[in-house]
Amino acid sequence: MFAFTYHRPDTLAEAVALLQAREEAKPLAGGQTLIATLKQRLAAPSDLVDLGALPALRAIAREDGRLVLGAMARHADVEASPLVRESLPALAALAGLIGDPAVRNRGTLGGAIANNDPSADYPAACLALDATIVTDRREIPAADFFTGLFETALEPDEIVVKVLFPLGGEGAYEKFRNPASRYAMAGVFIWRGEALSGESPVRVAVTGAGQGGVFRWSEAEAALAAHFSPTALAGLVLSADEMIEDIHGSGAYRAHLAGAMARRAVARLMTAGA
Amino acid sequence: MELTGAQRIEAPREAVWQALNDPDILRQCIPGCQELVQASATAFTARVTLKIGPVKASFSGAVTLSDFDPPHRYRITGEGQGGVAGFAKGGADVWLEPEADGATLLNYSAQAMVGGKIAQLGARLIDSTSRKLAGEFFSAFAEIVAPPPIPAPALPSEAAP
Repeated sequence: MFAFTYHRPDTLAEAVALLQAREEAKPLAGGQTLIATLKQRLAAPSDLVDLGALPALRAIAREDGRLVLGAMARHADVEASPLVRESLPALAALAGLIGDPAVRNRGTLGGAIANNDPSADYPAACLALDATIVTDRREIPAADFFTGLFETALEPDEIVVKVLFPLGGEGAYEKFRNPASRYAMAGVFIWRGEALSGESPVRVAVTGAGQGGVFRWSEAEAALAAHFSPTALAGLVLSADEMIEDIHGSGAYRAHLAGAMARRAVARLMTAGA
Repeated sequence: MELTGAQRIEAPREAVWQALNDPDILRQCIPGCQELVQASATAFTARVTLKIGPVKASFSGAVTLSDFDPPHRYRITGEGQGGVAGFAKGGADVWLEPEADGATLLNYSAQAMVGGKIAQLGARLIDSTSRKLAGEFFSAFAEIVAPPPIPAPALPSEAAP
């Protein structure tokens, strides 16, 4: 690690002020990506602003028909929360599939979405559920939040405070994990609910597969809106050229996996609804 | 890893060729390039800061142009040391083909290699990252050489965060 100055502010305003006052400062949430990067000396921030002393950021609640998860809610908190399990069981299940127990006990929702790793799980849930990301200064719809590989709409000094997940539908998440890293080789979150104006009643978000990170699979959404069944997805294949290609799998393999995960998620939703 | 592609540029081949040999334009197009200093007709020294997710590494190195066949093709190679982060080197053959309507098709075939810690930690992501950086280079290049016909408000020059 390179030397840095550690801060642990008590208020959100103080945290934002610290980030604004120092150009090379970085916020620290659960640190499951950032600390590993620092240990490898692959980044050298001047200051770390630890968000761990802001208890308000860990709240999990239900307000106005929405599930509200604080940005510092750890994956293990979300997985175990009776409120999440009851209102949005697919989200609790997703949290339980992230990394290993050590990662889940430290890693946070806000950290995961702010990092926007193309293989992270939460971005799929945010996009499929049309979540709203609330920061210290504004609200950002998930569709505008994830802007590309490791890129978000966040400003360098902006902090995610909470994420609002609308209720009133049902979802399912299916993931094919890399056995070593447990990142998604392909993960698909399917949500089905009331059709909003101009919106599909089915939303399909794919993570782990696309080169630009999480994306919505509109052809699958249209097919499932017409006929909600795994067979509706027969013949639909994502373009292999736009998929991640690495030592773990080719683009064609990931395109195939995404289709398989989508069919599993549909089957799971149908079983749950039966 | 290998990366091939083509980008259509709305400008005649001569203009595209000039731009490919203009250090100032190259500096603006190379993602994260803070400095590109001409050392000779075909050699440059460069300082590049790459920020990908949590990783932020500065590389200093050399950029060389070779295999000239104006205004058809050349080869651009770069090699940089990022201190403890590791090293990166790569090259691209670039060739230009005139289109029937006066535009130019810029073809490239690139190879990239990374080593050291950055390769270990980033093994999962090097291909996607390389593609993204190549995409950023060529879209910036197309924008500078052939700006869109409707004048857009002047953008502030790209500042590294």
